Amino acid sequence: MNTTVLVFLVLYFVVVLGIGFWAMRRGAGGDLENYLLGGRKIGPLVTALTLQSTSMSGFMFLGAGALGYVEGYWGLWYAAGDIGGGVVNMSVIGRRMRKLSQLTGSLTPIEYLEKRYPSAAIRLVAGGLTVFLLGSYVLAQFIAGGKGMALVTGLPYGVALLIAVGIILLYTYLGGYLAVAYTDFFQSLVMIIGVLWILGAALAEVGGFAAANRAIAVLEPSLVSIWGRDLGYQGQWGVVLGAVLIFSIGYMGWPHVVTRHMAMKNPLTARKAGAYATAWNLLFVPAPYIVGILAILILPEISDPELAIFEVAQKLLPAAVTGIVMAAIMAAIMSTADSLLLQTGSIAARDLYERFIDPNASERRMVLVSRLMVLAIGGVGYLVALVQPPTVFQVVIFVTSVLGSAFFPAYVCAVWWRKANTPGALTSIIAGASVSFVWQLLGLETASGLHPMVAGLLASTTAMIFVSLATQKRFPVPQQILDQMTEAANLGSVAEPS
Amino acid sequence: MFNLPLSTTLLVFGFPAFWILYTLGFLFLTRNWKRSEVDRRERPSQEEAS
Repeated sequence: MNTTVLVFLVLYFVVVLGIGFWAMRRGAGGDLENYLLGGRKIGPLVTALTLQSTSMSGFMFLGAGALGYVEGYWGLWYAAGDIGGGVVNMSVIGRRMRKLSQLTGSLTPIEYLEKRYPSAAIRLVAGGLTVFLLGSYVLAQFIAGGKGMALVTGLPYGVALLIAVGIILLYTYLGGYLAVAYTDFFQSLVMIIGVLWILGAALAEVGGFAAANRAIAVLEPSLVSIWGRDLGYQGQWGVVLGAVLIFSIGYMGWPHVVTRHMAMKNPLTARKAGAYATAWNLLFVPAPYIVGILAILILPEISDPELAIFEVAQKLLPAAVTGIVMAAIMAAIMSTADSLLLQTGSIAARDLYERFIDPNASERRMVLVSRLMVLAIGGVGYLVALVQPPTVFQVVIFVTSVLGSAFFPAYVCAVWWRKANTPGALTSIIAGASVSFVWQLLGLETASGLHPMVAGLLASTTAMIFVSLATQKRFPVPQQILDQMTEAANLGSVAEPS
Repeated sequence: MFNLPLSTTLLVFGFPAFWILYTLGFLFLTRNWKRSEVDRRERPSQEEAS
Protein backbone atom coordinates (compact mmCIF):
# COMPACT_ATOMS: atom_id res chain seq x y z
CA MET A 1 0.00 0.00 0.00
CA ASN A 2 1.33 3.46 -0.89
CA THR A 3 1.33 5.62 2.25
CA THR A 4 1.32 8.96 0.40
CA VAL A 5 -1.74 7.99 -1.63
CA LEU A 6 -3.45 6.87 1.54
CA VAL A 7 -2.64 10.13 3.34
CA PHE A 8 -4.29 12.16 0.56
CA LEU A 9 -7.30 9.90 0.53
CA VAL A 10 -7.72 10.10 4.29
CA LEU A 11 -7.37 13.88 4.12
CA TYR A 12 -10.07 13.98 1.46
CA PHE A 13 -12.41 11.79 3.50
CA VAL A 14 -11.85 13.96 6.58
CA VAL A 15 -12.79 17.12 4.66
CA VAL A 16 -15.91 15.48 3.22
CA LEU A 17 -17.02 14.25 6.63
CA GLY A 18 -16.24 17.68 8.10
CA ILE A 19 -18.61 19.27 5.56
CA GLY A 20 -21.22 16.68 6.48
CA PHE A 21 -20.96 17.58 10.18
CA TRP A 22 -21.03 21.29 9.37
CA ALA A 23 -24.21 20.84 7.35
CA MET A 24 -25.78 18.93 10.22
CA ARG A 25 -24.94 21.72 12.68
CA ARG A 26 -26.38 24.24 10.24
CA GLY A 27 -29.75 22.75 10.98
CA ALA A 28 -30.36 20.13 8.36
CA GLY A 29 -31.73 17.60 10.84
CA GLY A 30 -35.29 17.44 12.15
CA ASP A 31 -37.49 19.34 9.69
CA LEU A 32 -38.35 17.33 6.58
CA GLU A 33 -38.06 20.17 4.05
CA ASN A 34 -34.61 20.98 5.44
CA TYR A 35 -33.52 17.34 5.35
CA LEU A 36 -34.83 16.59 1.85
CA LEU A 37 -34.34 19.94 0.07
CA GLY A 38 -31.90 21.88 2.24
CA GLY A 39 -34.72 24.28 3.10
CA ARG A 40 -34.92 25.36 -0.59
CA LYS A 41 -32.06 27.83 -0.16
CA ILE A 42 -29.31 26.54 -2.49
CA GLY A 43 -27.68 29.24 -4.66
CA PRO A 44 -26.68 28.98 -8.37
CA LEU A 45 -23.06 27.86 -8.03
CA VAL A 46 -23.78 25.07 -5.55
CA THR A 47 -26.89 24.09 -7.55
CA ALA A 48 -24.85 23.81 -10.75
CA LEU A 49 -22.02 21.85 -9.21
CA THR A 50 -24.21 19.47 -7.21
CA LEU A 51 -26.25 18.90 -10.39
CA GLN A 52 -23.14 18.12 -12.40
CA SER A 53 -21.21 16.11 -9.86
CA THR A 54 -24.33 14.04 -9.16
CA SER A 55 -24.80 13.41 -12.86
CA MET A 56 -21.13 12.53 -13.38
CA SER A 57 -20.78 9.34 -11.46
CA GLY A 58 -18.03 6.77 -11.15
CA PHE A 59 -19.03 6.05 -14.74
CA MET A 60 -16.87 8.97 -15.86
CA PHE A 61 -13.69 7.45 -14.46
CA LEU A 62 -14.47 3.81 -15.20
CA GLY A 63 -17.08 3.55 -17.97
CA ALA A 64 -15.97 6.61 -19.96
CA GLY A 65 -12.30 5.66 -19.73
CA ALA A 66 -13.11 2.12 -20.82
CA LEU A 67 -15.23 3.37 -23.72
CA GLY A 68 -12.37 5.56 -24.97
CA TYR A 69 -9.90 2.72 -24.52
CA VAL A 70 -12.01 0.13 -26.35
CA GLU A 71 -13.87 2.19 -28.99
CA GLY A 72 -11.64 5.27 -29.46
CA TYR A 73 -13.34 8.54 -30.46
CA TRP A 74 -16.74 6.87 -30.76
CA GLY A 75 -17.03 7.39 -26.99
CA LEU A 76 -17.09 11.15 -27.53
CA TRP A 77 -20.71 10.86 -28.75
CA TYR A 78 -21.65 10.36 -25.10
CA ALA A 79 -19.56 13.38 -24.09
CA ALA A 80 -21.11 15.47 -26.88
CA GLY A 81 -24.54 15.29 -25.25
CA ASP A 82 -23.26 15.31 -21.71
CA ILE A 83 -21.63 18.75 -22.00
CA GLY A 84 -25.05 20.33 -22.54
CA GLY A 85 -26.97 18.24 -20.00
CA GLY A 86 -26.88 20.84 -17.23
CA VAL A 87 -27.92 23.87 -19.24
CA VAL A 88 -30.63 21.94 -21.09
CA ASN A 89 -32.04 20.83 -17.76
CA MET A 90 -31.97 24.33 -16.31
CA SER A 91 -33.30 26.06 -19.41
CA VAL A 92 -36.13 23.63 -20.12
CA ILE A 93 -37.54 22.71 -16.72
CA GLY A 94 -35.37 24.36 -14.02
CA ARG A 95 -37.23 27.58 -13.23
CA ARG A 96 -40.75 26.26 -13.79
CA MET A 97 -40.18 23.05 -11.82
CA ARG A 98 -38.75 25.02 -8.89
CA LYS A 99 -41.85 27.12 -8.81
CA LEU A 100 -44.44 24.43 -9.46
CA SER A 101 -42.93 22.16 -6.79
CA GLN A 102 -43.25 24.97 -4.25
CA LEU A 103 -46.81 25.82 -5.33
CA THR A 104 -47.84 22.18 -4.95
CA GLY A 105 -45.87 21.73 -1.71
CA SER A 106 -43.88 18.81 -3.11
CA LEU A 107 -40.77 17.63 -1.28
CA THR A 108 -39.69 14.76 -3.54
CA PRO A 109 -39.69 14.49 -7.34
CA ILE A 110 -42.17 11.61 -7.14
CA GLU A 111 -44.57 13.50 -4.89
CA TYR A 112 -44.31 16.31 -7.44
CA LEU A 113 -45.48 13.92 -10.16
CA GLU A 114 -48.50 12.88 -8.11
CA LYS A 115 -49.42 16.49 -7.37
CA ARG A 116 -49.20 17.37 -11.06
CA TYR A 117 -50.88 14.17 -12.28
CA PRO A 118 -53.26 13.41 -9.39
CA SER A 119 -53.35 9.66 -8.84
CA ALA A 120 -52.07 7.25 -6.21
CA ALA A 121 -51.07 4.91 -9.06
CA ILE A 122 -48.57 7.48 -10.38
CA ARG A 123 -46.94 7.69 -6.95
CA LEU A 124 -46.83 3.91 -6.54
CA VAL A 125 -45.49 3.11 -10.02
CA ALA A 126 -43.03 6.01 -10.18
CA GLY A 127 -41.89 5.49 -6.56
CA GLY A 128 -41.41 1.74 -6.90
CA LEU A 129 -39.59 2.09 -10.23
CA THR A 130 -37.33 4.83 -8.91
CA VAL A 131 -36.38 2.99 -5.73
CA PHE A 132 -35.42 -0.07 -7.79
CA LEU A 133 -33.45 1.88 -10.42
CA LEU A 134 -31.67 4.26 -8.08
CA GLY A 135 -30.84 1.34 -5.81
CA SER A 136 -29.18 -0.37 -8.80
CA TYR A 137 -27.39 2.86 -9.68
CA VAL A 138 -25.97 3.04 -6.15
CA LEU A 139 -24.66 -0.45 -6.68
CA ALA A 140 -22.62 0.74 -9.69
CA GLN A 141 -21.06 3.49 -7.58
CA PHE A 142 -20.11 1.06 -4.84
CA ILE A 143 -18.46 -1.27 -7.34
CA ALA A 144 -16.55 1.65 -8.86
CA GLY A 145 -15.38 2.81 -5.43
CA GLY A 146 -14.33 -0.65 -4.34
CA LYS A 147 -12.44 -1.38 -7.56
CA GLY A 148 -10.61 1.91 -7.57
CA MET A 149 -9.62 1.95 -3.94
CA ALA A 150 -8.51 -1.65 -4.05
CA LEU A 151 -6.24 -1.00 -7.02
CA VAL A 152 -4.64 2.20 -5.80
CA THR A 153 -4.31 1.46 -2.08
CA GLY A 154 -3.64 -2.25 -2.37
CA LEU A 155 -6.38 -3.01 0.14
CA PRO A 156 -8.52 -6.10 -0.52
CA TYR A 157 -11.65 -5.28 -2.59
CA GLY A 158 -14.03 -6.08 0.29
CA VAL A 159 -12.23 -3.78 2.74
CA ALA A 160 -11.90 -0.94 0.20
CA LEU A 161 -15.61 -1.29 -0.60
CA LEU A 162 -16.53 -1.20 3.09
CA ILE A 163 -14.58 2.04 3.66
CA ALA A 164 -16.13 3.79 0.63
CA VAL A 165 -19.68 2.67 1.50
CA GLY A 166 -19.25 3.50 5.20
CA ILE A 167 -18.16 7.09 4.56
CA ILE A 168 -20.92 7.75 2.03
CA LEU A 169 -23.54 6.37 4.40
CA LEU A 170 -22.22 8.36 7.33
CA TYR A 171 -22.44 11.84 5.85
CA THR A 172 -25.66 11.19 3.93
CA TYR A 173 -27.16 9.91 7.18
CA LEU A 174 -26.00 12.94 9.12
CA GLY A 175 -26.76 15.96 7.05
CA GLY A 176 -29.43 15.18 4.44
CA TYR A 177 -29.63 17.29 1.28
CA LEU A 178 -27.56 20.18 2.62
CA ALA A 179 -24.65 17.86 3.38
CA VAL A 180 -25.01 16.22 -0.02
CA ALA A 181 -25.12 19.56 -1.89
CA TYR A 182 -22.12 21.09 -0.13
CA THR A 183 -19.98 17.96 -0.26
CA ASP A 184 -20.91 17.71 -3.97
CA PHE A 185 -19.67 21.27 -4.43
CA PHE A 186 -16.32 20.45 -2.85
CA GLN A 187 -16.10 17.15 -4.70
CA SER A 188 -16.80 18.76 -8.06
CA LEU A 189 -13.75 20.97 -7.57
CA VAL A 190 -11.60 17.96 -6.65
CA MET A 191 -12.91 16.14 -9.74
CA ILE A 192 -11.87 18.99 -12.04
CA ILE A 193 -8.38 19.23 -10.56
CA GLY A 194 -7.88 15.46 -10.67
CA VAL A 195 -9.09 14.88 -14.21
CA LEU A 196 -7.21 17.82 -15.72
CA TRP A 197 -4.03 16.79 -13.95
CA ILE A 198 -4.15 13.26 -15.32
CA LEU A 199 -5.11 14.54 -18.79
CA GLY A 200 -2.08 16.87 -18.78
CA ALA A 201 0.23 14.06 -17.67
CA ALA A 202 -1.14 11.68 -20.31
CA LEU A 203 -0.76 14.27 -23.10
CA ALA A 204 2.81 14.99 -22.03
CA GLU A 205 3.59 11.26 -22.03
CA VAL A 206 2.36 10.71 -25.62
CA GLY A 207 3.95 13.89 -27.04
CA GLY A 208 0.79 15.96 -27.40
CA PHE A 209 -2.70 15.58 -28.84
CA ALA A 210 -1.80 15.58 -32.54
CA ALA A 211 1.09 13.14 -32.09
CA ALA A 212 -1.14 10.79 -30.10
CA ASN A 213 -3.81 10.78 -32.80
CA ARG A 214 -1.22 10.01 -35.46
CA ALA A 215 0.13 7.10 -33.41
CA ILE A 216 -3.35 5.70 -32.68
CA ALA A 217 -4.28 5.90 -36.38
CA VAL A 218 -1.18 3.86 -37.19
CA LEU A 219 -2.18 1.22 -34.64
CA GLU A 220 -5.83 1.04 -35.73
CA PRO A 221 -7.27 3.74 -38.06
CA SER A 222 -10.88 3.08 -37.03
CA LEU A 223 -10.13 4.26 -33.48
CA VAL A 224 -9.80 7.88 -34.63
CA SER A 225 -13.08 7.66 -36.56
CA ILE A 226 -16.50 8.49 -35.14
CA TRP A 227 -17.70 4.93 -35.71
CA GLY A 228 -15.75 2.92 -33.14
CA ARG A 229 -13.28 0.06 -33.38
CA ASP A 230 -13.47 -1.73 -36.75
CA LEU A 231 -16.18 0.82 -37.69
CA GLY A 232 -18.57 -1.29 -35.63
CA TYR A 233 -21.17 1.50 -35.36
CA GLN A 234 -20.87 2.82 -38.93
CA GLY A 235 -24.14 4.33 -40.12
CA GLN A 236 -26.00 3.38 -36.92
CA TRP A 237 -27.50 6.82 -36.39
CA GLY A 238 -30.13 5.43 -34.03
CA VAL A 239 -27.38 4.34 -31.66
CA VAL A 240 -25.51 7.65 -32.11
CA LEU A 241 -28.67 9.60 -31.33
CA GLY A 242 -29.20 7.59 -28.15
CA ALA A 243 -25.60 8.18 -27.06
CA VAL A 244 -26.09 11.94 -27.46
CA LEU A 245 -29.53 12.05 -25.85
CA ILE A 246 -28.93 9.82 -22.86
CA PHE A 247 -26.82 12.38 -20.99
CA SER A 248 -28.31 15.56 -22.48
CA ILE A 249 -32.10 15.49 -22.37
CA GLY A 250 -32.03 12.19 -20.47
CA TYR A 251 -31.06 14.08 -17.28
CA MET A 252 -34.50 15.62 -17.22
CA GLY A 253 -35.93 12.22 -16.40
CA TRP A 254 -33.60 11.44 -13.51
CA PRO A 255 -35.41 12.04 -10.21
CA HIS A 256 -32.18 12.42 -8.20
CA VAL A 257 -31.09 15.17 -10.61
CA VAL A 258 -34.33 17.11 -11.06
CA THR A 259 -34.72 17.33 -7.30
CA ARG A 260 -31.90 19.91 -7.57
CA HIS A 261 -34.39 22.27 -9.23
CA MET A 262 -36.77 21.90 -6.32
CA ALA A 263 -34.04 22.84 -3.82
CA MET A 264 -32.94 26.04 -5.60
CA LYS A 265 -33.08 29.30 -3.67
CA ASN A 266 -35.50 30.82 -6.19
CA PRO A 267 -36.53 30.29 -9.84
CA LEU A 268 -33.95 32.87 -10.97
CA THR A 269 -31.18 30.55 -9.72
CA ALA A 270 -31.72 28.36 -12.80
CA ARG A 271 -30.25 31.02 -15.10
CA LYS A 272 -26.82 31.33 -13.54
CA ALA A 273 -26.75 27.63 -12.63
CA GLY A 274 -27.16 26.74 -16.32
CA ALA A 275 -24.13 28.85 -17.26
CA TYR A 276 -21.99 27.47 -14.44
CA ALA A 277 -22.96 23.93 -15.44
CA THR A 278 -21.77 24.45 -19.03
CA ALA A 279 -18.46 25.93 -17.87
CA TRP A 280 -17.83 23.00 -15.52
CA ASN A 281 -18.85 20.44 -18.15
CA LEU A 282 -16.57 21.90 -20.82
CA LEU A 283 -13.62 21.41 -18.49
CA PHE A 284 -14.59 18.04 -17.08
CA VAL A 285 -16.67 15.92 -19.46
CA PRO A 286 -14.37 15.21 -22.45
CA ALA A 287 -11.27 14.57 -20.32
CA PRO A 288 -11.96 11.00 -19.02
CA TYR A 289 -12.84 9.79 -22.54
CA ILE A 290 -9.65 11.32 -23.96
CA VAL A 291 -7.50 9.85 -21.18
CA GLY A 292 -9.05 6.48 -22.03
CA ILE A 293 -8.09 6.99 -25.69
CA LEU A 294 -4.54 8.02 -24.78
CA ALA A 295 -4.27 4.94 -22.57
CA ILE A 296 -4.28 2.88 -25.79
CA LEU A 297 -0.75 4.17 -26.33
CA ILE A 298 0.39 4.40 -22.72
CA LEU A 299 -0.82 0.99 -21.58
CA PRO A 300 -1.62 -1.18 -24.61
CA GLU A 301 -2.21 -4.31 -22.54
CA ILE A 302 -4.83 -3.72 -19.84
CA SER A 303 -6.83 -6.71 -18.64
CA ASP A 304 -9.77 -4.62 -17.36
CA PRO A 305 -10.39 -1.50 -19.52
CA GLU A 306 -12.52 -0.01 -16.71
CA LEU A 307 -9.28 0.47 -14.80
CA ALA A 308 -7.57 2.38 -17.64
CA ILE A 309 -7.63 5.76 -15.89
CA PHE A 310 -6.51 4.31 -12.55
CA GLU A 311 -3.62 2.51 -14.24
CA VAL A 312 -2.56 5.61 -16.19
CA ALA A 313 -2.59 7.61 -12.95
CA GLN A 314 -0.46 5.02 -11.21
CA LYS A 315 2.01 4.82 -14.07
CA LEU A 316 2.47 8.52 -14.80
CA LEU A 317 1.90 10.47 -11.64
CA PRO A 318 3.93 10.79 -8.45
CA ALA A 319 2.29 9.26 -5.38
CA ALA A 320 1.01 12.56 -3.96
CA VAL A 321 -0.71 13.48 -7.22
CA THR A 322 -2.08 9.97 -7.61
CA GLY A 323 -3.64 10.56 -4.19
CA ILE A 324 -5.37 13.69 -5.51
CA VAL A 325 -6.54 11.89 -8.66
CA MET A 326 -7.77 9.02 -6.52
CA ALA A 327 -9.62 11.51 -4.35
CA ALA A 328 -11.16 12.96 -7.53
CA ILE A 329 -12.32 9.52 -8.59
CA MET A 330 -13.78 8.85 -5.17
CA ALA A 331 -15.40 12.29 -5.35
CA ALA A 332 -17.16 11.39 -8.62
CA ILE A 333 -18.38 8.16 -7.11
CA MET A 334 -19.39 9.51 -3.73
CA SER A 335 -21.10 12.66 -4.99
CA THR A 336 -23.43 10.51 -7.05
CA ALA A 337 -23.88 7.74 -4.50
CA ASP A 338 -24.86 10.12 -1.69
CA SER A 339 -27.51 11.81 -3.85
CA LEU A 340 -28.85 8.45 -4.98
CA LEU A 341 -29.02 7.16 -1.44
CA LEU A 342 -30.73 10.28 -0.15
CA GLN A 343 -33.25 10.27 -3.01
CA THR A 344 -33.99 6.58 -2.68
CA GLY A 345 -34.44 6.96 1.08
CA SER A 346 -36.64 10.03 0.65
CA ILE A 347 -38.83 8.43 -2.00
CA ALA A 348 -39.20 5.20 -0.04
CA ALA A 349 -40.13 7.14 3.11
CA ARG A 350 -42.27 9.94 1.74
CA ASP A 351 -43.74 8.41 -1.43
CA LEU A 352 -44.21 4.84 -0.35
CA TYR A 353 -44.18 4.59 3.48
CA GLU A 354 -46.10 7.76 4.34
CA ARG A 355 -48.36 7.66 1.30
CA PHE A 356 -49.37 4.01 1.48
CA ILE A 357 -48.46 2.66 4.93
CA ASP A 358 -48.63 5.35 7.61
CA PRO A 359 -50.27 8.57 6.35
CA ASN A 360 -50.14 10.11 9.84
CA ALA A 361 -46.38 9.69 10.28
CA SER A 362 -44.75 12.69 11.97
CA GLU A 363 -41.93 14.58 10.20
CA ARG A 364 -39.49 13.24 12.77
CA ARG A 365 -40.57 9.72 11.97
CA MET A 366 -40.26 10.38 8.25
CA VAL A 367 -36.67 11.52 8.63
CA LEU A 368 -36.00 8.38 10.68
CA VAL A 369 -37.57 6.14 8.02
CA SER A 370 -35.58 7.90 5.31
CA ARG A 371 -32.35 7.36 7.24
CA LEU A 372 -33.14 3.71 7.88
CA MET A 373 -33.76 3.25 4.15
CA VAL A 374 -30.38 4.85 3.40
CA LEU A 375 -28.75 2.32 5.71
CA ALA A 376 -30.72 -0.61 4.30
CA ILE A 377 -29.98 0.24 0.66
CA GLY A 378 -26.34 0.84 1.48
CA GLY A 379 -26.15 -2.55 3.20
CA VAL A 380 -27.82 -4.45 0.37
CA GLY A 381 -25.75 -2.58 -2.22
CA TYR A 382 -22.57 -3.45 -0.34
CA LEU A 383 -23.44 -7.16 -0.28
CA VAL A 384 -24.29 -7.31 -4.00
CA ALA A 385 -21.16 -5.33 -4.93
CA LEU A 386 -19.13 -7.72 -2.81
CA VAL A 387 -20.60 -11.00 -4.02
CA GLN A 388 -21.33 -10.55 -7.74
CA PRO A 389 -20.35 -7.18 -9.20
CA PRO A 390 -21.42 -6.47 -12.81
CA THR A 391 -19.46 -3.85 -14.82
CA VAL A 392 -20.07 -0.21 -14.00
CA PHE A 393 -20.71 0.65 -17.65
CA GLN A 394 -23.45 -1.98 -17.98
CA VAL A 395 -25.30 -0.87 -14.86
CA VAL A 396 -25.09 2.87 -15.58
CA ILE A 397 -26.23 2.64 -19.20
CA PHE A 398 -29.05 0.29 -18.19
CA VAL A 399 -30.32 2.47 -15.35
CA THR A 400 -29.94 5.86 -17.05
CA SER A 401 -31.65 4.63 -20.23
CA VAL A 402 -34.66 3.34 -18.30
CA LEU A 403 -34.88 6.41 -16.05
CA GLY A 404 -34.58 8.88 -18.92
CA SER A 405 -37.07 7.00 -21.09
CA ALA A 406 -39.60 6.58 -18.31
CA PHE A 407 -39.65 10.05 -16.79
CA PHE A 408 -38.51 12.54 -19.44
CA PRO A 409 -41.97 13.24 -20.94
CA ALA A 410 -43.61 13.25 -17.51
CA TYR A 411 -41.29 15.96 -16.10
CA VAL A 412 -41.12 18.08 -19.24
CA CYS A 413 -44.87 17.99 -19.95
CA ALA A 414 -45.60 18.67 -16.27
CA VAL A 415 -44.59 22.30 -16.79
CA TRP A 416 -44.97 22.80 -20.54
CA TRP A 417 -48.09 20.95 -21.75
CA ARG A 418 -51.44 21.80 -20.19
CA LYS A 419 -53.12 18.78 -21.75
CA ALA A 420 -50.74 16.25 -20.19
CA ASN A 421 -53.03 14.32 -17.87
CA THR A 422 -52.84 11.41 -15.44
CA PRO A 423 -53.56 8.50 -17.84
CA GLY A 424 -51.06 9.99 -20.31
CA ALA A 425 -48.32 10.29 -17.69
CA LEU A 426 -48.94 6.86 -16.21
CA THR A 427 -48.90 5.15 -19.60
CA SER A 428 -45.84 7.13 -20.61
CA ILE A 429 -43.85 6.06 -17.53
CA ILE A 430 -44.80 2.41 -17.92
CA ALA A 431 -44.23 2.34 -21.70
CA GLY A 432 -40.86 4.15 -21.54
CA ALA A 433 -39.52 1.95 -18.74
CA SER A 434 -40.79 -1.29 -20.29
CA VAL A 435 -39.53 -0.65 -23.83
CA SER A 436 -36.09 0.51 -22.67
CA PHE A 437 -35.83 -2.43 -20.26
CA VAL A 438 -36.88 -5.06 -22.81
CA TRP A 439 -34.68 -3.46 -25.50
CA GLN A 440 -31.62 -4.02 -23.33
CA LEU A 441 -32.71 -7.37 -21.98
CA LEU A 442 -33.17 -8.83 -25.48
CA GLY A 443 -30.15 -7.05 -26.97
CA LEU A 444 -32.29 -5.32 -29.62
CA GLU A 445 -29.80 -2.46 -30.05
CA THR A 446 -27.63 -4.45 -32.45
CA ALA A 447 -30.53 -5.92 -34.40
CA SER A 448 -32.48 -2.68 -34.77
CA GLY A 449 -29.64 -0.13 -34.86
CA LEU A 450 -31.61 1.83 -32.26
CA HIS A 451 -30.25 2.77 -28.83
CA PRO A 452 -32.51 1.65 -25.92
CA MET A 453 -32.79 5.29 -24.87
CA VAL A 454 -34.21 6.27 -28.26
CA ALA A 455 -36.59 3.30 -28.35
CA GLY A 456 -37.78 4.05 -24.80
CA LEU A 457 -38.16 7.78 -25.47
CA LEU A 458 -40.19 7.15 -28.61
CA ALA A 459 -42.50 4.86 -26.65
CA SER A 460 -42.94 7.16 -23.66
CA THR A 461 -43.39 10.35 -25.70
CA THR A 462 -45.87 8.73 -28.07
CA ALA A 463 -47.82 7.30 -25.14
CA MET A 464 -47.92 10.67 -23.37
CA ILE A 465 -49.24 12.51 -26.44
CA PHE A 466 -51.77 9.99 -27.70
CA VAL A 467 -53.17 8.83 -24.36
CA SER A 468 -53.45 12.38 -23.00
CA LEU A 469 -55.33 13.54 -26.09
CA ALA A 470 -57.53 10.45 -26.24
CA THR A 471 -58.57 10.71 -22.58
CA GLN A 472 -58.78 14.49 -22.35
CA LYS A 473 -62.55 14.66 -21.98
CA ARG A 474 -62.81 11.91 -19.40
CA PHE A 475 -59.73 12.91 -17.41
CA PRO A 476 -59.24 16.67 -17.83
CA VAL A 477 -56.40 18.36 -15.97
CA PRO A 478 -57.97 19.90 -12.81
CA GLN A 479 -58.40 23.68 -12.93
CA GLN A 480 -56.31 24.15 -9.78
CA ILE A 481 -53.33 22.51 -11.50
CA LEU A 482 -53.82 24.58 -14.64
CA ASP A 483 -53.77 27.71 -12.45
CA GLN A 484 -50.57 26.52 -10.78
CA MET A 485 -49.01 25.90 -14.19
CA THR A 486 -49.93 29.42 -15.26
CA GLU A 487 -48.34 30.82 -12.13
CA ALA A 488 -45.24 28.64 -12.60
CA ALA A 489 -44.86 30.02 -16.14
CA ASN A 490 -44.83 33.60 -14.84
CA LEU A 491 -41.45 35.06 -14.00
CA GLY A 492 -40.54 35.81 -10.39
CA SER A 493 -40.69 33.82 -7.15
CA VAL A 494 -43.81 32.48 -5.51
CA ALA A 495 -45.25 35.26 -3.35
CA GLU A 496 -44.61 34.52 0.33
CA PRO A 497 -47.78 34.42 2.45
CA SER A 498 -48.06 37.58 4.53
CA MET B 1 -6.87 19.18 -37.54
CA PHE B 2 -4.81 17.43 -34.82
CA ASN B 3 -4.40 14.48 -37.21
CA LEU B 4 -8.07 13.63 -36.87
CA PRO B 5 -10.54 13.06 -39.72
CA LEU B 6 -12.90 16.01 -40.34
CA SER B 7 -15.90 14.19 -38.89
CA THR B 8 -14.03 13.42 -35.66
CA THR B 9 -12.78 17.01 -35.43
CA LEU B 10 -16.39 18.20 -35.70
CA LEU B 11 -17.43 15.77 -32.98
CA VAL B 12 -14.63 16.82 -30.62
CA PHE B 13 -14.87 20.58 -31.16
CA GLY B 14 -18.26 21.18 -32.82
CA PHE B 15 -20.48 19.96 -30.00
CA PRO B 16 -18.73 22.01 -27.29
CA ALA B 17 -19.03 25.07 -29.56
CA PHE B 18 -22.75 24.35 -30.01
CA TRP B 19 -23.32 24.13 -26.25
CA ILE B 20 -21.44 27.38 -25.66
CA LEU B 21 -23.75 29.09 -28.16
CA TYR B 22 -26.79 27.44 -26.57
CA THR B 23 -25.76 28.71 -23.13
CA LEU B 24 -25.11 32.24 -24.41
CA GLY B 25 -28.51 32.16 -26.13
CA PHE B 26 -30.16 31.02 -22.88
CA LEU B 27 -28.49 33.84 -20.95
CA PHE B 28 -29.53 36.37 -23.59
CA LEU B 29 -33.15 35.24 -23.73
CA THR B 30 -33.50 35.20 -19.95
CA ARG B 31 -31.84 38.56 -19.29
CA ASN B 32 -35.14 39.94 -17.96
CA TRP B 33 -35.55 37.28 -15.27
CA LYS B 34 -33.75 39.28 -12.61
CA ARG B 35 -35.83 42.38 -13.28
CA SER B 36 -39.02 40.31 -12.93
CA GLU B 37 -37.77 38.91 -9.64
CA VAL B 38 -37.15 42.41 -8.27
CA ASP B 39 -40.52 43.67 -9.55
CA ARG B 40 -42.27 40.72 -7.97
CA ARG B 41 -40.70 41.37 -4.58
CA GLU B 42 -41.54 45.05 -4.70
CA ARG B 43 -45.14 44.58 -5.79
CA PRO B 44 -46.68 43.48 -2.44
CA SER B 45 -45.18 46.42 -0.59
CA GLN B 46 -46.54 48.83 -3.21
CA GLU B 47 -49.98 47.26 -2.89
CA GLU B 48 -49.77 47.53 0.87
CA ALA B 49 -48.80 51.18 0.56
CA SER B 50 -51.84 51.94 -1.57
